[in-house]
Amino acid sequence: MTAIFILFALMAILGGLLTILAKNAVHAALGLVGCLISVAGLYVTLNAHFLAAVQVIVYAGAIMVLFLFVIMLLNAAKPVTEENPVPFVTEIAGVAACVVIFAMVVIMSSFKAPVLPKGAVEAMQGGGPGPIGEVLFTKFLLPFEAVSILLLVAVIGSVALVKRPEQQQENLPDGELVGTFENDRQEVKA
Amino acid sequence: MEGVTPYLMLSGILFSMGLIGALTRRTAILVFLSVELMLNAANLALVAFAQAWGDLVAQSAVFIVMTLAAAEVAIGLAIIVTIFRKRVSTNVDTLAELKG
Repeated sequence: MTAIFILFALMAILGGLLTILAKNAVHAALGLVGCLISVAGLYVTLNAHFLAAVQVIVYAGAIMVLFLFVIMLLNAAKPVTEENPVPFVTEIAGVAACVVIFAMVVIMSSFKAPVLPKGAVEAMQGGGPGPIGEVLFTKFLLPFEAVSILLLVAVIGSVALVKRPEQQQENLPDGELVGTFENDRQEVKA
Repeated sequence: MEGVTPYLMLSGILFSMGLIGALTRRTAILVFLSVELMLNAANLALVAFAQAWGDLVAQSAVFIVMTLAAAEVAIGLAIIVTIFRKRVSTNVDTLAELKG
C-alpha cells in the first residue's frame, strides 16, 4: 500500500459518505463526483490509463452534469421527507452492508493473485486506448455492438418519455397566448 | 496485504456504502446516485482483477459497464422527470402502487 493509494482511497470513501449522508441532493452529487475522480486516480495506479480518462470525461463529467441538471431542474435539492415507512430499514441496510463487507473479507483472505506469465504486464501497455480497442473489436465485438444499439434505444426512449403530449397545447383557447404576452409587456413597463 | 487486495477491500467498502444509500434514501435521484456508487465499486474490482491477471479483458468489461451506466442514467432520469411532472415529487414511497 503506497501513500497515493491511501490518499485516493480516503478521498473516495469521503465522497461516498457525502453521497449517502448529505441532506442536500446537490451536495450528494458533488460528493459522488469527488469519489469518481479519486477512483480514476486509482485506475492510473492500476495501469488503466484509458479507463481513467474515460472515467473523468464520461462519468464525472457527462453523467454527473446530467444528474445535476435534473436535480436543479426539478428543484429537488431538498428532501421531501426523510421519514421512512419501512420499519428498521436503516438497521437492515447496516446489517446487509456488514454481510457484504464480511463476505469481501473472507474472499480477500483466500484470494491469491496468479503467477503472471512473463511479459503479461508489458503486453497490457498500461491500458492505453490501442490495446483496449483491440480487445473490444475482437473478443468483445458482440457486446460492443449490442451496447451501441442499447445507447440508441436509450436516446430514443428518453426523448419519447419526456415529450409533452400534444393535446395540451391544442386545448388552449386561441386568445390566451396573446393575452399572456400583453400581460408580460405591462409588467415590464410597470 | 499486497498486490491488489487493498483495492478489492476499498471496492467492497464502496459497494456497501452504495447499498446502504440505495436502501435508506427516500428520493429517487439519491437512490440513483447510490446505484452509481455500487456500479463504480464493481468497476474498481474489475480493474484490480485485470491488473492481477495481466489481462485487458476485464478493462474492456469496465468500458461496457460505463456505457450501460450512461444508458441507465438517461432512461432513469427521463422516468424521474416524467413522474415529477405528474406528482410534483420524486419520493419513492409514493410510487409503491405497483407493488400489487
